[in-house]
Amino acid sequence: MKEVPLKIEHAGKWEVIKAAVGEDRISFPAPVEKEILFKSVFDLEDKKNILIISAKGTPEIVIRIASVEKVLIILKRLILTNCNAYRLMAYFMSPAIRGGVLAKDAQWEKGSIVVVKTGIWFVSAAKQICIPITDVAAIELTKRDVQGKQTDVVRIDHVESGEVVSSLVLCPLSTLQVLVNFLKDTTKGMDMKGNELDGVAQQVAMLVYSGMDSHAIENMLNIPHKQLDEIYDRIIKLGIAEVITIRREVQLTTKGVRYISDATKTQTN
Amino acid sequence: MGTILIVDDTLFMRTLLKNILFSGGHTIAGEAANGEEAVAKYKELKPDLVTMDVVMPKVNGIEALKSIKQLDPAARVIMCTAVGQEQMVKLAIKTGAKGYIVKPFQAPKVLEEVKNVLAS
Repeated sequence: MKEVPLKIEHAGKWEVIKAAVGEDRISFPAPVEKEILFKSVFDLEDKKNILIISAKGTPEIVIRIASVEKVLIILKRLILTNCNAYRLMAYFMSPAIRGGVLAKDAQWEKGSIVVVKTGIWFVSAAKQICIPITDVAAIELTKRDVQGKQTDVVRIDHVESGEVVSSLVLCPLSTLQVLVNFLKDTTKGMDMKGNELDGVAQQVAMLVYSGMDSHAIENMLNIPHKQLDEIYDRIIKLGIAEVITIRREVQLTTKGVRYISDATKTQTN
Repeated sequence: MGTILIVDDTLFMRTLLKNILFSGGHTIAGEAANGEEAVAKYKELKPDLVTMDVVMPKVNGIEALKSIKQLDPAARVIMCTAVGQEQMVKLAIKTGAKGYIVKPFQAPKVLEEVKNVLAS
């Protein structure tokens, strides 16, 4: 067992302790007095350098820890290698495409894909990347050119800071199919089956994605404000868009008309 | 900021790119709906940059890119591809494309790529 310094949230405040880390467990001394077997961990979240570990127990154990990056990397690797999760060895490329632009220096890395309760982790010797399940936008079994050969891969799109980031997973086809089914099951409720949009609504969705505002969309598609509003209502109802700003159109009252008339007179005199 | 020729067979994508590029302060030199038209417009307009769709009728984007590079080896061309056309991207880069964007795209990323290519 090795001792590592970290901060742990206990009874509403952060305590500085030295945790004992072994190959299969982590022990927190007083005042926390807890031991977690990695195989009992079913969820791991990384939120701005705070690691949230959820493990089976009665009641369920949830631990929040913070430490220097080096310690967190070791802990994440140990937990993700041993935890209770869907895991497979694969090559991955993450990110492969960001906001529609192929990521520079993107390359295949050998590692594993670990699916825990709230996230999909890409783990290699150099990287530990987590995609929160709630941010997953699409999962697709598709083909990519790998070393000059069209090869089956799984593409996972997720939304990060408002832009779509695509990651690719490469392993034998039978395993990819299992992965796709598992991920689709994990993220069910996100698909649009039976709720397909018509042509104009699809174009509106694409323009919204591209960053166009309502005025630009109306002009580009040559549609009236009312029609755009109806399409917005539909895509909001389907859960594929959300309201961020409500703009108002106004007309001047009699008082307003008098004001601008006076102002014009003042300017022209 | 630069003058840009937009090449895409769909009016929708051309209009979208036009709006994005205009919002970034660029001037739209012209538009073309296929590769053949793109080469003719390039000769005529001599834009600073071309955004070129890959899959188009008559002459596709790769062929048009080759012709433009023959006319002007220093031409700056950004290829617009759909997801899954990385093979095309590689071919385009070998042929001399300076950058690439994948549809559907987001305005800030397009402008960033255009800025990078114009600076190259």
